[in-house]
Amino acid sequence: MTSTRFSSLRRALRWFFVRSRGDSPFKTLLIHLALIGASIIAVYPVLRVVTISLRPNDALLTTDLRIIPQNATLDNYRTVLFGDPTKNRQSDFFLWLWNSFSVVAVTSIISVILAAVSAYAFSRFRFPGRSAGLVFLLTTQMIPAGMLLLPLFIMLAQLRMINTSLGLIIAYSVSSVPLTIWTLKGYYDTIPIDLEEAALIDGATRFTVFTKIILPLSSPALAIAFLFSFMGGWSEYLVARVVLQKNDLYTWPLGIFTYAQQFTVAWGQFAAASVMIAVPVMVLFLYSSKWLISGLTLGSVKG
Amino acid sequence: MDETPLIRRFLPYLYWLIGLFLVYFVVNALIAPYASGITLSVQIVIRRLIEIGGFLLAIFAGLAIIEVYFYQIFFRQPRTILTAWIVRILQGVFAGMGLLMVLAFFERTDLFRLQEGLLRSILYFPNTLVDGLRSTLMGIGLTKDSSGWMSGVVLIVIFAGLFFLNHQLTVPRSSKLGMAYLLVLPAFIGVLVLIIYPFLFEIKLAFSNASLGTQATKNAQYGLIYGWNNLVTLFTGTVAKDATFFEVLGRTVLWTVINVVFHVSGGMALALLLHRPMKLQGFYRTLLVFPWAVPTTIVAMALRNEFDSRYGLFNILLSNLNSWLVDVSQGMVSVPVLGEMFAWLAAHIGPVSWRQDPFWAFVSVLITNIWLGIPFMMVIILGGLQSISHEYYEAAEIDGASKFQQFRHITLPLLRPVLTPAVILGVVWTFNKFDVIYLITQGGPQEKTDILVSSMYKAAFSFYRYGFTAMFALVIFVILLAFALVYLRVSGGLKSVTE
Amino acid sequence: MASVTYRNVVKKFGDVVAVDNISFHVEDKEFLVLVGPSGCGKTTALRLLAGLEEVTSGEILIGDRVVNDVPPKDRDIAMVFQSYALYPHMSVFDNMAFGLKLRKMPKEEIKRRVYEAAEILGITNLLNRKPRQLSGGQRQRVAVGRAIVREPKVFLFDEPLSNLDAKLRVQMRAELAKLHQRLQTTFMYVTHDQVEAMTMATRIAVINSGRLQQIDTPQNLYDHPANLFVAGFIGSPAMNFFAGALHMADGKLVVETDDFVLPIPAERAVQYQKYAGRKIVFGIRPENIHDVHFIPPNIHGERVNVKVDVTELMGNEIFLYLVSGKNSFVARVDPRCRLRVGDQAQVVFDMDKFHIFDAQTEEALR
Repeated sequence: MTSTRFSSLRRALRWFFVRSRGDSPFKTLLIHLALIGASIIAVYPVLRVVTISLRPNDALLTTDLRIIPQNATLDNYRTVLFGDPTKNRQSDFFLWLWNSFSVVAVTSIISVILAAVSAYAFSRFRFPGRSAGLVFLLTTQMIPAGMLLLPLFIMLAQLRMINTSLGLIIAYSVSSVPLTIWTLKGYYDTIPIDLEEAALIDGATRFTVFTKIILPLSSPALAIAFLFSFMGGWSEYLVARVVLQKNDLYTWPLGIFTYAQQFTVAWGQFAAASVMIAVPVMVLFLYSSKWLISGLTLGSVKG
Repeated sequence: MDETPLIRRFLPYLYWLIGLFLVYFVVNALIAPYASGITLSVQIVIRRLIEIGGFLLAIFAGLAIIEVYFYQIFFRQPRTILTAWIVRILQGVFAGMGLLMVLAFFERTDLFRLQEGLLRSILYFPNTLVDGLRSTLMGIGLTKDSSGWMSGVVLIVIFAGLFFLNHQLTVPRSSKLGMAYLLVLPAFIGVLVLIIYPFLFEIKLAFSNASLGTQATKNAQYGLIYGWNNLVTLFTGTVAKDATFFEVLGRTVLWTVINVVFHVSGGMALALLLHRPMKLQGFYRTLLVFPWAVPTTIVAMALRNEFDSRYGLFNILLSNLNSWLVDVSQGMVSVPVLGEMFAWLAAHIGPVSWRQDPFWAFVSVLITNIWLGIPFMMVIILGGLQSISHEYYEAAEIDGASKFQQFRHITLPLLRPVLTPAVILGVVWTFNKFDVIYLITQGGPQEKTDILVSSMYKAAFSFYRYGFTAMFALVIFVILLAFALVYLRVSGGLKSVTE
Repeated sequence: MASVTYRNVVKKFGDVVAVDNISFHVEDKEFLVLVGPSGCGKTTALRLLAGLEEVTSGEILIGDRVVNDVPPKDRDIAMVFQSYALYPHMSVFDNMAFGLKLRKMPKEEIKRRVYEAAEILGITNLLNRKPRQLSGGQRQRVAVGRAIVREPKVFLFDEPLSNLDAKLRVQMRAELAKLHQRLQTTFMYVTHDQVEAMTMATRIAVINSGRLQQIDTPQNLYDHPANLFVAGFIGSPAMNFFAGALHMADGKLVVETDDFVLPIPAERAVQYQKYAGRKIVFGIRPENIHDVHFIPPNIHGERVNVKVDVTELMGNEIFLYLVSGKNSFVARVDPRCRLRVGDQAQVVFDMDKFHIFDAQTEEALR
């Protein structure tokens, strides 16, 4: 009896301690402990936001460290989503989301369309100006985001596009277009040129090759480039702060910053709003991280 | 030819449409009780869609017109001498109009300024034409918005007609590079408008005294002397309000170095821990990339409050640690060395003032940015580690190399192709990244946590020193350019980029 | 159905000359194989015909039409690529139908042609699959099928079998030859494998460093190689070469190498008399070197002393790697041969079947 119990314990231990050659159980245990510690450091601050979002309004200012607070409540979520009728306050939450979404989606659409076409030329044609163009696009990645913001701001002001979502779309396209071209060029480079030549012989023109062969083949890459561009603009704060000054145009980062500014009741609402925004983004991110990483290694690290 | 009935072919789209309407109605019904508390409304959505739709249409119609124009230049040639004259004149007029519109755009954005007069009216001739068309349309009873749309349609029809005429007068010809240039053209125009033009504008701005007082560029004066003044102010005066250039530059270097060192070493440590056959690897990995997955803005704003002196996480932890140390030291007061040591620790470790003390404020932004940046490096390094064949380690083990020697002589050299560009990019990104600083401390206290870019941002948008900021931006650009050039020299040129 | 003509075709990539002044004519319904070592320009020559590269100078004709400026789609050719180049996002049917759809052929006709071609190649059951679900051999067939349905004037093959395993390659070789019989169309086929060339071609063009070395039927190429390169390239194991000179000795013409002297039989000596005194390269194929115990009857055999270095048993024959003084060479002998490694022995050269090349020009002396 004891021997079987002992062996089942051993089996359980062995399940956990799948060892690489030469590692002692003690070392494996240490490695797990280190990883658990690191995971806690990585996750706990994020969990804190969830905790705070669940706190009742009268218990915000506390030195409590529990993850699920006492008297947990969803009041903050309701206030963020639907306003507070008792204080006659409306909620801008959906408006912010819509503002962000419309601006960032359109930016991404423009970038992906421009990039899909020009990246193809950069990948397949050898034309005078090609390498200069590529180096230039790479250099733009070195320019600080804030650097072109001032002239752009003044330009937009002159064109009366400050305080419009169109102005923000233009400002976001500055960094999004070159990055998307790089990402897509990296992908096009991996499509064998044989396919295009086969299509040319089959009777296709250059244009048909692009629409019937290249675009269908790169649809996943286009989706990823879109996602890339979208993620880049989705939680942007600094540029939006400059271009948008009217409340009803605020994107969500500007919006929730109005909550976060004071250490008051609004902190809970800030936390609730953050959780609702962050969870879908994180799910999307973790789901697509494999591609994001391969895109990063293709587009940036290779350069 | 296609025997599938029309309705069958459009069925999928129909389903989508019906689905969307269903979702709309369901959501609407669910939200109805709360609708009064929500500011977003269908009207707002539709208004935005029309605004953006018009914008997109204008962009793509404009691009299409330019594309067709160049297509005809590259791929069509006139049939006869006579048609050649007509075609070239048409194309010349088109190019002239285009040039005028570009110049008018420059004028309007204050790249240069023209006095009222003949020259200016010539410059604005195409715009006047369009405005004229628009007011005519408004004259026949259209609203302001729809007249804009209609004049766009009228213009497109006119261009289509002209292009059709051109098409009829020409025959096809082949062009080797035409295709490439046509494909690059839209992005080229985009880059021209979005990057090159603002950059030129910034250079001009750097040689001006533009500020809030001059109403930006409206009453600004330009001249080399202003550029010189801006430069002198930059190096001798304050960059935003309190801090000086070299102080901030030093802090920027410190900021970049500390961040990158911690990102790489932290990422390396975690990647090495993860890179082995073991249970729960995927689970740890997912947890460890959390800081990267959460939007930075949210993290920064959340941590901003966690650095609060009383209710923030960090001081709670520190004060808990402090009280524990106090307890221990009281319990051990009789133990000779240990007792003294704990007493000393209890006296020195405790809550700090993250907001008021410049040192701790800087530490607070560093902690946040390091926490944010480690997962990226970890993932990159892990990818690099996984691409190293296991056979190298087996060979090294047979040769009798210790674990450390394996790391030193196999892992590190083979990681180089992945690590070097990642580190370089890390340096550039960190150098330029100030959203964490801006959101947590806003550079305070007394700009003791500002780095170059955040100072620049504040100089422009908090203190409205436009001319000065432009010069500041150029100096930062030169610093980065020098860094990039050194990197390219070291890494062996741009061959790998353009191939 | 058309002939193909290359007229002084030159192709340069920058300073590199890939195809150097090639001229030849391919008759209608011929199966011409372009063969040569990798990087010799044979694939470039084919791509020039396909229109995937532009000629630097010279002319290429399909039938009577100069196609230099004709885009690939209008040349009425079909090509099978080394990588097969099947469109990954299309089913097998769509892959085969793609070219026909682009030509706006009626649907019924497309269907008929695709099914017909699928029938010929035995891939009817695969038509709904995607390329990634197919094995290498099946992909190969689809690629061929995609060419067949087009019913082009000329079929181009760019090393189509090199990605297949050895067994499948032999099988496909036979099938392609059969296909050529059946379709009665001009085939142009590029390979680096001389066995493929010998087994399938009606004529072979041997190309080296961008130049056409010789174009002839497989048998003629084997029996009468025009130069040292062709002699060495065609045949496996390759022909043995010995540097030497032609001399008159005692009124007889002899080949003298560093290690042995071989008299040339009278009936062939007439032909070479005029080259006496010249530096030459003497060539003899491995199968024309025999073990002394198994000499075929009625040959002019000449004995040479050798040491056996390595033996390779192939079952139906034995390859002997022999050393004679400074020369090492291969003999392909009867499987009953008892020679073993290290043996000192004699082998017999069949002096009716040798080749002589000028040492300077490397051209065959005739």
